[in-house]
Amino acid sequence: MQLDVFQALADPTRRRIVETLLAGEQQVADVVAKAGIHQSGVSRHLRILHDGGFVSMRPDGQRRFYALQPAPFRELDGWLTPYRELWEARLDRFGAALEERSKQRRAKEAKEGKKRS
Amino acid sequence: MNAQEKAQRGTLVIERSYRANIGDVWDLWTTKDGFESWWGPQGFRVEVSELNARVGGALCYEMIADTPEMIAAMKQMGSPASHPVNSRFTELEPRERLVITNVIDFIPGVTPYENRVAVDFKVQGAQVRMVVTFDAMHSDQMTQMQKEGFTSQLTKLDKRFGSAA
Repeated sequence: MQLDVFQALADPTRRRIVETLLAGEQQVADVVAKAGIHQSGVSRHLRILHDGGFVSMRPDGQRRFYALQPAPFRELDGWLTPYRELWEARLDRFGAALEERSKQRRAKEAKEGKKRS
Repeated sequence: MNAQEKAQRGTLVIERSYRANIGDVWDLWTTKDGFESWWGPQGFRVEVSELNARVGGALCYEMIADTPEMIAAMKQMGSPASHPVNSRFTELEPRERLVITNVIDFIPGVTPYENRVAVDFKVQGAQVRMVVTFDAMHSDQMTQMQKEGFTSQLTKLDKRFGSAA
């Protein structure tokens, strides 16, 4: 089953596996120990992450080493970028409106100050 | 919202600092003329019909296509040039924090969901730091795209049936 990037990372155990692998390539036993997860199910989670392109697997004799791959993280980042840009543009307008508002308030205050004096 | 929900919803955080008075910053979110002076995606302006800045208070406005390009684009998609948005202030701590929640329950075939924008304000000397947290997956742009997607699907269907007839 091929999950999309959000589904693959929606599972907390898989996020913990990914966070553990940030430290570098590791074998399954180390992932289990460092991520503090149960042995059962880890192969399934690693397979899902592998199918989704999040991790690569390198066999070495009886052992299997897992490491993170950048592609899906780039996809995640790329997916979020337009939303970030839209909001950045919105906040640029907020900044301009704020400047205008501050200017008007200061002008009003100066006028009122003059009247009082 | 917990971490899992955040990952599922694609929550994004943007921080800005302004050399400004907190009252002016707050008013841009909580008054009719303030809100109208900046809100809305590029190519749109808003007209507020109701804004009641208290917890549970309504924030209702019309989102109006405002550039010739956007008006043409909306027409091409078969969407009206303006549409109403009914939101609520679901959290409000004057000059500290507010949350605007919008229930999206009008897209055919899409399970109703909430679109939330949370804003935290902090005065730091002569500056105001504003932290905006929003759901990228459940943003108004996304809603618009879903609506457009659905509309264009229908248009395609119309065309297919039209050509068959």
